[in-house]
This record gives sequence, C-alpha cells and structure tokens, in this order.
Amino acid sequence: MDPDATTPPLPEPDALTRRFWEACRQGRLDLCACESCGHLFLPPGPCCPRCWAMRITTRTASGEGAVRTFAVYRRTYHPGLPQPYVVAVIELREGPRLVSNVVGCAPERVRIDMPVRARFENVGEFTLPRFEPAGPEKEPS
Amino acid sequence: MKRRAVIAGVGHTSFGKHPGRSAFELEAEAAALAARDAGLDPLEIDGLLTDPGFARGPMEGITPHFLRLGGLLGIDPLYTGTEILGGAGSAAIVGRAALAVEAGLCSTCLCVYGDSALSTPGAYAYGRGDDAAYGLFGAVGLHAMAAQRHMHLYGTRPEHLGEVAVAARACGARTPHAQKRRPISLQEYLESDPVVDPLRKLDCCLVSDGAAAVLVTTEERAAALRRPFARILSQAQAHRLRTFTSPEHFETLPAARCGPEALARAGVTADDVDVALLYDCFTIVVLLQLEDYGFCKKGEAGPFVEGGRIAPGGKLAVNPSGGLLAEGYGGGMLHVIEAVRQLRGEAGERQVPGAEIALVSGHGLGMNTHATLVLGR
Repeated sequence: MDPDATTPPLPEPDALTRRFWEACRQGRLDLCACESCGHLFLPPGPCCPRCWAMRITTRTASGEGAVRTFAVYRRTYHPGLPQPYVVAVIELREGPRLVSNVVGCAPERVRIDMPVRARFENVGEFTLPRFEPAGPEKEPS
Repeated sequence: MKRRAVIAGVGHTSFGKHPGRSAFELEAEAAALAARDAGLDPLEIDGLLTDPGFARGPMEGITPHFLRLGGLLGIDPLYTGTEILGGAGSAAIVGRAALAVEAGLCSTCLCVYGDSALSTPGAYAYGRGDDAAYGLFGAVGLHAMAAQRHMHLYGTRPEHLGEVAVAARACGARTPHAQKRRPISLQEYLESDPVVDPLRKLDCCLVSDGAAAVLVTTEERAAALRRPFARILSQAQAHRLRTFTSPEHFETLPAARCGPEALARAGVTADDVDVALLYDCFTIVVLLQLEDYGFCKKGEAGPFVEGGRIAPGGKLAVNPSGGLLAEGYGGGMLHVIEAVRQLRGEAGERQVPGAEIALVSGHGLGMNTHATLVLGR
C-alpha cells in the first residue's frame, strides 16, 4: 500500500496556528491569552474574540479538562484512522474547548463530564494533544 | 403600493442517481420546470440566485456558480449571486430573492439548488480542517455529538431518533417522486448499521443527484398567471460562527434565535403552523428544531415525537414529502417546494387538509447556519 495512504490526515499550520503546533511538539498545550482583557481562547486567532484587542500572548494550559460531548466513529473514513475511535469536544479547566480524541479507555466507557488530562502523541512530524481519563475509567497500560 | 414577494412556480428533477449528467444540466431542467409551472417566459427572469451544493464547490477556478449557470441559461439579470451557507442556502436564497423583489432590484428571480453528490464519490466524507487529524470527518460526527449531549441532558433515547426516521420514510412512501419509498419499522431502525455513535445509517439523510428551483416574483405578476402562489410572509436568519466556542453549541441550533423571530414577524405562533418543513440532514436536527421553534419545550422533543406524532396522520405535519431522509437530498429547496405544494393544495395523498401556514427551515455546515421562511396562502 502507498505509505501515504496510512498516514492519518495531519494539521496544516498557518500563520495563526503555527505556534500552537510548535508548543504541542514541546509537550505544551498553549492557549491564547488577551493582554487587554485576560480572555483565554482557542483556536488561535489574530485578535481577542471578546474585545478585539490585537496583543495576544500565550499561557500554557494545565492539560486538565472534561468531556463536553463525544462521538464514536464506527466507520473508517481514512485508512490511517481505523474505527472505532472517539472524537470529543474537551472543555479545558481554563475554559477554552477543543476537538480531540479520548484515548486510553474503551469507547464504551467514555462519558460526558468525564475528567480527562492531555497526553501528547506523535503522529508523523506532529504532536497531537489527545486526552485520557483522569479518573477510574483509565485502563492500565 | 408595496411590492409583495410570492413563489409563483416550482420545479425539480427526480432525485437519486443521474450518472453522466452534470449538475448544471440538472439545474437547467429544474429551472425550465419551474418556469413552465409558473407559466412564465424565461425571458422575463431578471434575477438569479444559486446554491451550488457541495460536490462542485461554489467556484470553478475563477468562475462563480451563478456566472456559469446564468450563462448556460442565457440570463443577463439585474440581480444575482451564489450563497454558501450549506444546508441553509436554499431557504436563504429564496428569502434574499423576496427582499430583492420587494426592494425593486428585480421582478422575477430564479432560485436554484443543484448537486451531483451521489455521482461524486466521497463528496460528504471531507475532513474538517485541522480537526481531521483527530478523525473528525463529514457532518455526521458533529451531529452525533449533539445527539450524545441531548441524550445526556434530557434522557433522549435511540427510539426517539428512530421515530423521526420512521416518520420520514412513511412520508416517503406517500410521495411518488421520493428516492426512498419503502417504509421502515422502528426495529429496522434500531438494527441499522452504526455510523458514528449514537447515530445509525437510518439517522442520516440520503445522498442524491438532483436539482430544484423556485421562481419568486411580485404578487401582482403572479396574480396574472392564474396559478396558485405562496406568499413569503416572513424570514429570519441566525448563525453561530463560534461553533463549539459558544456554550450553546450542541444544545440548541441558531434556530432558537431566528425561529421564534420569523414566526413573530409573520404574526403567527408555532401553534398556527399547519405544516413544518424542517431541514433534516440527521434525525437529531429535527428534534432540536421542534424545541428551538417552540413546538415543544427544551429537552422534550424525544417524548414529543413518541407515538407517531410527526408521522403521517400525527398531530404535527413534518416533512410530508419525506424530507432529506426519504424524498432526496435537495439541499433544502425541496422543503420550499413541498411547502408551496401544500399551500396550493396539490400534494395528493400526502396533502395536509386546509394548510395555510407553512414553516420552512434550512440548517448548515457544522451546525453554524440557519435560515427560516414562513409561507402562507
């Protein structure tokens, strides 16, 4: 098989998201922080989406959060991502939400509001922030 | 005297597989059928608004969809454009045509949706930007997350989603042109293959090749055509571009803002709606809209649809022609057309007796866009 076919789709960093992905590669989940009003946000953007201030800095998140909602893919859309897998919206302790995967537990055990923590995984040249249960749902590895 | 916009003609191709036919050809057929239905000479058409569907995209190189289609149809309009609002596009262009006609920017506006998604493998299996790295493909994943949250917050069960699917297919069985005419049972729904939990195959709309068109003109012009027309009583839109940055995402649709507003502008309430044409890309979207439009309270749509309440003969007529789940994926324009047919009283076996007020919705992209029309006789 063409080796490219089994490589999952990868992010395509642009001027707005490059720093986010570089931080991930160093094991950090960096949030955007507005220097004017203090609002913390994702995805990265050119201005604060609350006050439109242009001075944005970064703040490293704790990596702790909870599952806001999730879905279990039972079909394989890409050969590099065989089913089943869990796509979730994670609400970070600091407030921002992001799409990610819940890993390290059976899909059947994932629940809304389940506490999770970030776990960085290398995929190709990228490091993706995925999330594993922070509570009893975690399976021994 | 104020010009009032009405829908004077409707037309569509069959929906299903049209191998070897381009979407432009389908759109031309739908446009010609709409003109014939209205009894209007194509030379009278001085407005063109389009929704290009998904498989082609809105641009071919530097050529936008309205330019290519208008050229093929031989139209030099006074007003034109292409809307890119996903499934809200069809309702939105009909609304925009009404505004243009009432403002005098044009007199007779053709509104067209077309796509050849069924003949374009993988048309809807797209990755959602960088989130594709996590396996977020298609529209189904986001809607599954909305269904999951509804189940978590309100105890909604798979059987409730199944009621929507079963009702749609029962409606399709009464619609001669429907893509799926075989009814299904709740058991068949529950045994249908999982796609993205908690959504099954029968929660998902059809994929179709096809095109649909309506003609919006002035009441004065339509009255001279001796064909029943539908009035465009009101419209409203609301959009949530923040997606899941908004705390309401996965719990309400933008319809919660524009739905009640559109009904109020028409001077009616949800109780006055005789037939609801609710955009139904996935069953969960019907449940969310029943709540957001005020047909039932927040969280109660599951029990509301129990016992066939939205099935043929039920208390509320929803998508009598079967909608996206059975009639075919018409981008929302078939919803507009069914509303017109119901108001004209020409829906045959599926006619809602005495229908006077029709609600039409469109919903699109990552649950980001919503457009509402209220139509009347």
